[in-house]
Amino acid sequence: MLFQWGMRRQKKQMNDGVQQEGDDHSGEVADVPQEPMSAELAVNIDIIRRATGESDDVVIRRFSLGQETQMKAAIVFVDGLVDEKNVYEFLLMPLLTTSFPLALEEKERFQWIEKKLAAVGGVKHVTEWKQLFFELFSGATVMLIDGVPFAISASTKGGQYRSIEEPQTQIAIRGPREGFTESLRTNTAMIRRRIKNPNLWLETMQIGTVTQTDVAIMYVKGIANDEIIEEVKTRLRRIDIDSVLESGYIEQLIEDQTFTTFPTTYHTERPDIVAANLLEGRVAIFVEGTPFVLVAPALFIQFFQAVEDYYARFDIATALRFLRVLIFFISLVAPAIYIAATTFHQEMIPTQLVIAIAAQREAVPFPAFVEALMMEVTFEVLREAGVRLPRAVGQAVSIVGALVIGQAAVEAGFVSSAMVIVVSITAIASFATPSFAIAISARLIRFGLMFLAAMFGFYGIMMGILVMTIHLCSLRSFGVPYMSPLAPFTPSNIGDTLFRVPTWMFRERPHLISQKNIVRQSGDQKPQPPAPSRQEKGDES
Amino acid sequence: MKRLLGMFLPFAACVCLLSGCWSKKELTDLAFVIAVGLDKTEDGKYLASFQVVNPGNVAGATQRGGGAAGVPVSIYTSTGDSLVEASRKASEKVSRLLYYAHTNLVVVGEELAREGLDGVFDAMERSQQFRTTARLVIARGHSAKDTLSVLTPIDKISANQIIRTLEFSEMAWGQTINVDVWWAIRGIASPGRNPVITGVSIEGGLKKGKRQENVQSSVPDARVTLNGLALFKNGRLIGWADGPTARGMMWVLDRIHQTNLTIPWEGKQEAIGYRATRAKTNVEARVNNGRPSISVHIKAEGDISEARVPINLADAGVVFRLEQELERNVKQEITKAIETAQREKTDIFGFGDAVHRAAPRLWKKIEKEWHDRYFPELDVTVTADLYIRRTGLRNKPYIEE
Repeated sequence: MLFQWGMRRQKKQMNDGVQQEGDDHSGEVADVPQEPMSAELAVNIDIIRRATGESDDVVIRRFSLGQETQMKAAIVFVDGLVDEKNVYEFLLMPLLTTSFPLALEEKERFQWIEKKLAAVGGVKHVTEWKQLFFELFSGATVMLIDGVPFAISASTKGGQYRSIEEPQTQIAIRGPREGFTESLRTNTAMIRRRIKNPNLWLETMQIGTVTQTDVAIMYVKGIANDEIIEEVKTRLRRIDIDSVLESGYIEQLIEDQTFTTFPTTYHTERPDIVAANLLEGRVAIFVEGTPFVLVAPALFIQFFQAVEDYYARFDIATALRFLRVLIFFISLVAPAIYIAATTFHQEMIPTQLVIAIAAQREAVPFPAFVEALMMEVTFEVLREAGVRLPRAVGQAVSIVGALVIGQAAVEAGFVSSAMVIVVSITAIASFATPSFAIAISARLIRFGLMFLAAMFGFYGIMMGILVMTIHLCSLRSFGVPYMSPLAPFTPSNIGDTLFRVPTWMFRERPHLISQKNIVRQSGDQKPQPPAPSRQEKGDES
Repeated sequence: MKRLLGMFLPFAACVCLLSGCWSKKELTDLAFVIAVGLDKTEDGKYLASFQVVNPGNVAGATQRGGGAAGVPVSIYTSTGDSLVEASRKASEKVSRLLYYAHTNLVVVGEELAREGLDGVFDAMERSQQFRTTARLVIARGHSAKDTLSVLTPIDKISANQIIRTLEFSEMAWGQTINVDVWWAIRGIASPGRNPVITGVSIEGGLKKGKRQENVQSSVPDARVTLNGLALFKNGRLIGWADGPTARGMMWVLDRIHQTNLTIPWEGKQEAIGYRATRAKTNVEARVNNGRPSISVHIKAEGDISEARVPINLADAGVVFRLEQELERNVKQEITKAIETAQREKTDIFGFGDAVHRAAPRLWKKIEKEWHDRYFPELDVTVTADLYIRRTGLRNKPYIEE
């Protein structure tokens, strides 16, 4: 790897000299006509035809304006991206049927159309080809008139999207059932519906030189820290990439630290989580075409907070928080502890148990580490197969898998049954982690810890965990310490970390995220039984 | 910075990889020594016996291995001038590394115990593996090796059988004591207390006891059984105490948890049974005119467990008289126990320690001669408060007058 770094640096130096020559890495649409829009309709249509390669889905409908005039005009739209009913009923019909005031000059006719005819929202003047194509592929209908060197575009977005469904990840028993869809506008609307406040600001930009994907950032002005908003914007603006197909592209280009297994941005499919995070001062990044919305800055503890913690009562929520941290540790160290205990620290296992494990291992030909590694890899293979396979086949995989890592392996003497238990506990624990992102990092670190345990026993595990902790404390997410509010310690935010205090005690927002507007609600909201009336008092005495 | 890191990383990797699994030992490389037996050979050497678990044959091991037919433990012996030597020498016979971290029982042969235990435990206390929480018993009338070779039913590993018997017998009956190596070492080292250790003997034919058939019979040919308390003085075994005398010692040592007393009633012997369920002993030392004296106070609560004569247990007066009779009974047991110890001139009760606490200066003077001169003539007052709290599920016995 070091070698590669060296190579790359050299290459870069070589490239620097040549760079000016042809910087066409961006793959910008080369065919967009450079000439200005023509006044002649036929020419314009021809240009559109040629630029789109005469694609069939680009529909060009020529017609004559009004009933009296013979003015030629055309509307252009992309089939499937527009709501056809809109186009025909509210755009084409009026244009065809209205009688046109002939006195109007050609150029004024557009204004007239704009004002009187186009019964759709979002009408724009378009003067450049680039803009025209962008509008066209965003689902607008473009209208051209003979003799006019510009076009108007009318917003007729439509077409088929996946409807709002229950989210596939982060399922909650209690809580809203709707999840984000692939449509950016639907997604932002879901947040608007939850936060009815003019301070909920939305800014949209296009990222991806080829794909021109809409990326929107959303925040609550006045709660979110301006510096963080600015930082997010700067990082987004810096992106120069040909395509953005999923929010993961953006995530990897704006995260603080690439060489870490821990996620420094949070992604979710649930609008209620995004809304809650916006209200804590975070910034949400929506990407067209994916139901996963990014939330930044993300803190370590956030990955242990399931949405249901806030809907359930605090006692059970607190218990579950503890459980989740425990689960994380189990999925991190369980196989490592098994290796360390059975190869270095036999004295730490109770006598009966060590004899039972020894009895099982009697027939196993491999060292404990190899045994553990074998089982862990087998499990990872099964899991990967289970995720990628079509659902119908997945069933078969799980049955075969249960046999392979269960009974058959034990009976064949490949592994001991104690190891099967350890692997199963680890597997279940890693499934039970509320955030998939953090479960993945535990999955990777687990193998590292297994190596350390095989080399140094518990000492190695301790070293590994220490290094991990130091690393975690060094991480930042958009300038906010990753381990806050645990380190640096913020007493007033500690109520939403390893435990969750009752809702009436949630007085303050995370200090380090929303730095100025930190008071969330008034204190002294503890519910109390009504004071006894005078009559009752009298009865008592 | 990067360059520095790049130079540092390979070295760090070397440290990790080249040291490679230092001190790693797989479970299948270890012979778990579950019990150690110590005897003396005729030429004065130590004869160490190691009871090694054969994991494949222990119940609960469901996987294949040796099959259920084999014996769960195997005894290895070796001789040496010291314990460690004997242990190392045993490697000539064992195919695995002897591992002592799970040694839970130490059996000392009576002969060796009579010669003296002074230096025996040092190796155990010094070793990183060995735990001084291992139970300690004396093989009474047999060698330690023989005691360990008897196969036992229920708890397949005979060491476990002995340990659990020790635990439960002390808890339920109270004529044996459950002590570990640490306690024995403290007893030997302390000037004001000598250790007592439970004896273990073999009932039945030893030869058959070593074979698997022993556990295939509902009445095994040989059984290991707890038998009395061994009294020590200066690290040497000097005598045994059995039955009620042993229990008397346990009362004074405050090691009675539960026990059963049978007392006569209105002329009929063994008429009423009493089950003590809670007991507490206080030992206090006093000094009068430079002469130490000890007062022992017993407080116990319990139920009537048996009534074989017609008796009206609903009558508070009767219960009160019963309590008095019980107290007399217990006092008698204790006095007998103390007299036995005084006759043997060994303070197994820790009265010396009590005097030490009460009068440290006086103790300095008498410390040297405590066991031989002061303890045998010590004035011990025994008081007992026994309460009958309940009468079991019945009140009146079914026997009518």
